[in-house]
Amino acid sequence: MIKVHLERRLVPSTIMVIGAPVLALAATIGLGTILFLGLGIDPLATLYQFFWAPLTTPNGLSEWLLKASPLILIALGLSVGFRANVWNIGAEGMFIMGAIAAGLLAIHFGEGAPVWLLPAMVAAGALGGMAWAAIPAFLRIWANASEILVSLMLNYVAQLFLAFLVNGPLRDPDGFNYPQSPLYDPSAMFSPLFDEMRLNSSIFITIGAVAVTWIFLERSFLGFQMTVGGIAPVAARYAGFSQARAIWTGLLAGGAAAGIAGMMEVSGPLGQLTPVISPGYGYVAIIVAFIGRLNAFGIVVGGLLLSLLYMGGESVQIALNIPSAITRTFQGMLLFFLLAADVLIHYRIRLGRT
Amino acid sequence: MTAPRLELRGISKRYPGVIANDSISLSVMPGEIRAILGENGAGKSTLTKMIYGAVTPDSGSVLIDGQPVTIRNPGVARSLGIGMVYQHFSLFESISVVENIALALDGPFDLRALGAEVSALSARYGLPVEPRQLVHNLSVGERQRVEIIRCLLQKPKLLILDEPTSVLDPKAVEHLFEVLRVLAREGVSILYISHKMAEIHALCDTATILRGGRLVDNVAVADVTTSDLARMMVGASIPVISRIPSICSPKPHLEVIGLSQTSADPYGTTLSNISLSVSGGEILGIAGVSGNGQQELLSLLSGEVLTDSQFIWIDQQPVGDMSVATRRQRGLTFVPEERLGRGAVPSMSLAQNTLLTDQTDGGVEFGLIKRSIIKGKAQHIIDAFDVRCFGVDALAQTLSGGNLQKFIVGRELGAGPKSADRCPAYMGCRCGRCGLYPSKACGSEPGGRRCPGDIRRTG
Amino acid sequence: MKTVRAALVVARGNDRGIMTMAQGISRRDIVRQAAGAGMLISASGMGINARAAEVLKVGVVFVSPITEVGWTAQHRQAADAIKAALGDQVVVDVIDDIFQPQDAERVFRGFATSGHKLIFGTSFSHGAPMAKVAQQFPKVIFNDCAGVKHGPNLGSFEAKYYEAGFLAGVVAGKMTKTGKLGFLGGFPIPDIIGPGNSILLGAQSVRPDSTCKVLFMNSWSDPGKEKEGARALIAQGCDVICAMTDSPAAVQAAEEAGVWAIGYASDMKKFAPTRQLTSMVVDWSSVYVQDARDVAAGTWVSKARWEGLKEGVVKLAPLVSTIPEDIRALVRKKEDEIKAGTLLPYAGEIRDQDGKIRVPKGGVLGDDDVRAMNWLIAGMVGQAKG
Repeated sequence: MIKVHLERRLVPSTIMVIGAPVLALAATIGLGTILFLGLGIDPLATLYQFFWAPLTTPNGLSEWLLKASPLILIALGLSVGFRANVWNIGAEGMFIMGAIAAGLLAIHFGEGAPVWLLPAMVAAGALGGMAWAAIPAFLRIWANASEILVSLMLNYVAQLFLAFLVNGPLRDPDGFNYPQSPLYDPSAMFSPLFDEMRLNSSIFITIGAVAVTWIFLERSFLGFQMTVGGIAPVAARYAGFSQARAIWTGLLAGGAAAGIAGMMEVSGPLGQLTPVISPGYGYVAIIVAFIGRLNAFGIVVGGLLLSLLYMGGESVQIALNIPSAITRTFQGMLLFFLLAADVLIHYRIRLGRT
Repeated sequence: MTAPRLELRGISKRYPGVIANDSISLSVMPGEIRAILGENGAGKSTLTKMIYGAVTPDSGSVLIDGQPVTIRNPGVARSLGIGMVYQHFSLFESISVVENIALALDGPFDLRALGAEVSALSARYGLPVEPRQLVHNLSVGERQRVEIIRCLLQKPKLLILDEPTSVLDPKAVEHLFEVLRVLAREGVSILYISHKMAEIHALCDTATILRGGRLVDNVAVADVTTSDLARMMVGASIPVISRIPSICSPKPHLEVIGLSQTSADPYGTTLSNISLSVSGGEILGIAGVSGNGQQELLSLLSGEVLTDSQFIWIDQQPVGDMSVATRRQRGLTFVPEERLGRGAVPSMSLAQNTLLTDQTDGGVEFGLIKRSIIKGKAQHIIDAFDVRCFGVDALAQTLSGGNLQKFIVGRELGAGPKSADRCPAYMGCRCGRCGLYPSKACGSEPGGRRCPGDIRRTG
Repeated sequence: MKTVRAALVVARGNDRGIMTMAQGISRRDIVRQAAGAGMLISASGMGINARAAEVLKVGVVFVSPITEVGWTAQHRQAADAIKAALGDQVVVDVIDDIFQPQDAERVFRGFATSGHKLIFGTSFSHGAPMAKVAQQFPKVIFNDCAGVKHGPNLGSFEAKYYEAGFLAGVVAGKMTKTGKLGFLGGFPIPDIIGPGNSILLGAQSVRPDSTCKVLFMNSWSDPGKEKEGARALIAQGCDVICAMTDSPAAVQAAEEAGVWAIGYASDMKKFAPTRQLTSMVVDWSSVYVQDARDVAAGTWVSKARWEGLKEGVVKLAPLVSTIPEDIRALVRKKEDEIKAGTLLPYAGEIRDQDGKIRVPKGGVLGDDDVRAMNWLIAGMVGQAKG
């Protein structure tokens, strides 16, 4: 009998850093082809619809970036914490709280708001997210409570708080009693970059965040301390790097990014607060961060990929009349292979006889 | 002539980069208590795991009662009559003693009958345990009894115990030994893993000594002294060092006064009443078989574990509750035993690794890392300490152990003469021996003084 | 850069103007002006008319995944009815599991740019994005189920669930032992609160001391949560459970616990063969087919359709066989009365939870008030909040 086992590499494989995603893509296409053939669907047409068709029109490109932008921004913030093993699972709640904080300003000023409203909303979004992130940070340091559980549970609290607001204090008086806030005034919205397309100026916030995160993670001493804390915690302790500071920095960075992303989503494609404002961006961003290997530019690639997968899934559904269950299966397959293949960077597969 | 209960012939196991066991042979007769002795990392755990089937050997053969066997997994081991009591217990906290035992057994799940059986065994061997009690209410000693009873229920012919006394107080140790002697009289063979010579003399008939994955010797305990065993464990050759006379400073740079500390880790060592002092120009060695509190002491000295301020003094200032960074500013540097993962970050370059403990001289400006400066520093250390590597961008994990050690020493001493005088106290540690390194900053005082006080393991 | 900005300001100004206009018009205005607007549209829609012989592309956006029963299953059935009715003259493309407004907007736009001339939304959450896209594609007809915004090319359609709800309530009031009903709603919106009230009104019409406990899930499809919610209601003594969500989980829970259930959207008999009293079935086929015919013919006019038992958009599923004949006869009679307009479920006197009279004796709740109902009637236990 041949036994397959994993053996840890002494030094991570540099070939596999590039090779793993390529292998993952090949495996997905292979298995996807089998899946599609089994269902009697043309695999070539499906793959075309998944990976290329969404990007063939200017509007498609605009939608691609629009969807990728919040994913990238949130993942950038999360990566700061993840580098230091600060596992913030609460981006969804921080996204919502940022949107609420900014929304209070927008609704307070209503029509004809001062020009500084939009920048103030960006700041409010960041502060809202950070305030929410401060809870798990404080509890982790003060009571050693797991930030994973605390931040995750706070997602539900934030979601219900938003539902309370749009069902009560923030409900649009002219909205037939439906749970949603009034539409934002244009002064509280990001302006679209092109006519008839939804991509708006908030994309520049994300672009700026990529640069800032890259400098922080790769060039700043605090970023270095957090990286050491993540990959070699004993060495960080030996060096005297403060764990408390890493926890605060990691969670607050994640909170600020997610809060701004929430604000961007409402002041962009949504235009009003509704009971559910996030299509799970706070969770998807965790996948984006890991596909990007916690590197700022990698995260850009990860965010664009996830966004493309969403749009590709829709395009396949419409063009080939395939239900969402199938497209989601294919998306899950790709993500699974991408993350699983990374094991080859640190391990080699050995075949042995028993 | 009876065949040995267990015989190992040329057992080897290698992991990437390390030979854990290199052609080990030993045998145990029925009723024999055999010690497996060695320092941490000598290969004891790997060897016992192979006997218990948790790890498969690369080569060599295992014989039980003269019959060659392949122990594919612990289940096979149990069916061959091998029982194992691990150092770290494997009990579920939230269920009762008898339920825990039932989970490990094959066959029907009859808690009532099993409870009676447990009570009978516990009475017979003097291992008091209440079967219905929940495990999380039990002391470590009681949990160990549960583990032993769980083994005994399977009527083992060979019982392996891995460092069983590390969690017990002296009275409980004596009690455990009595139980083991009774078992041996009944014909059970016992493999007793330890690095404590006193216990081996008190309990064992024979000893197998391992060092660095190799078999040193199989001896009868009665024929050797404790110091013979220690020499075999640590290695016979003690380096000869030429003595350079040194001038000591009038006042000590580092003092430890009456330091007592209970380890936060339940498997760690508790320190009690340790005092020492080191003056400028002096080298102090701390001797002892590893696992007797050196790690705990050094973590307290470096500041990785904090304690009461009055226990540790640097230049006549109490620092026991001060952080690593503060102590480093006061002039304490530390070269840890573990080079990879503690003294250096394996997947980072040498240049980046200088930043762990040295952010001076413009290496960090406005919170940003100046790469040219840290590269310069790394190059300086490489040149001054003759570190063999592929330059400042080489990853720490690509260096040989010795060269990485040189790099870390260089970093901690401060490679330039300017910074050397900032170094009143410097600690080095190597497994089992006193650490002596070429030092530009300090004179050297070979040998070392005995430290007053008592480093010992207690429950 | 400057030119882009200028263009944007114009676009945004435009945006707002139309938005407020769309919001300012009430349903009744729309219906009243429908005839006039219809003329206008059919005049301007000559282009569409001229292409009537071409194949009509219809896009349908489902709010949740396609499943066997439930809200989306009923909409899918209606989409299939278009194909059955118009055959080769029509292509129907569907996409499922699009809930979020930001995703819906992209999908609507995608349909509109790929030649679809009639686009259906199937959720309230599709309303806002549909209104935005409708302005940008004046030649494409949009129709949103449960929408509240209207425009020349944007209509809405809804069902008078409360008519079936009242009848189901009559059955429940007759069959309950404890007099306690349990109601699980997806979101606390008028389209759910209103029918919840009507079930209790029906029950109270035959058993005045009936009460109803209310829970809202804040999601349309979360079978685990729905099952748990149903069990909680049953544990509190409710012996008739109705869930206006998208899964049969609550009905299954009732079957398992041996209490009665009222299904919603589809006939869920399969999931509770002995315990589903009846179900408030919705059938959108007539709406979908009519719209497709009108768009193909170029005669479509914006409407706020709101239809019930009489039009067949709402139906009562066959009563479970264990219900005695006298109750069946009573339900048949009341159904005929509702269809004839002689029985008005929301006729006074109706008090709210605080005892305040909302509909005086002899009065009846106006249509706009029914569609905006965000209060619970006396006897309801719980809050109209998520």
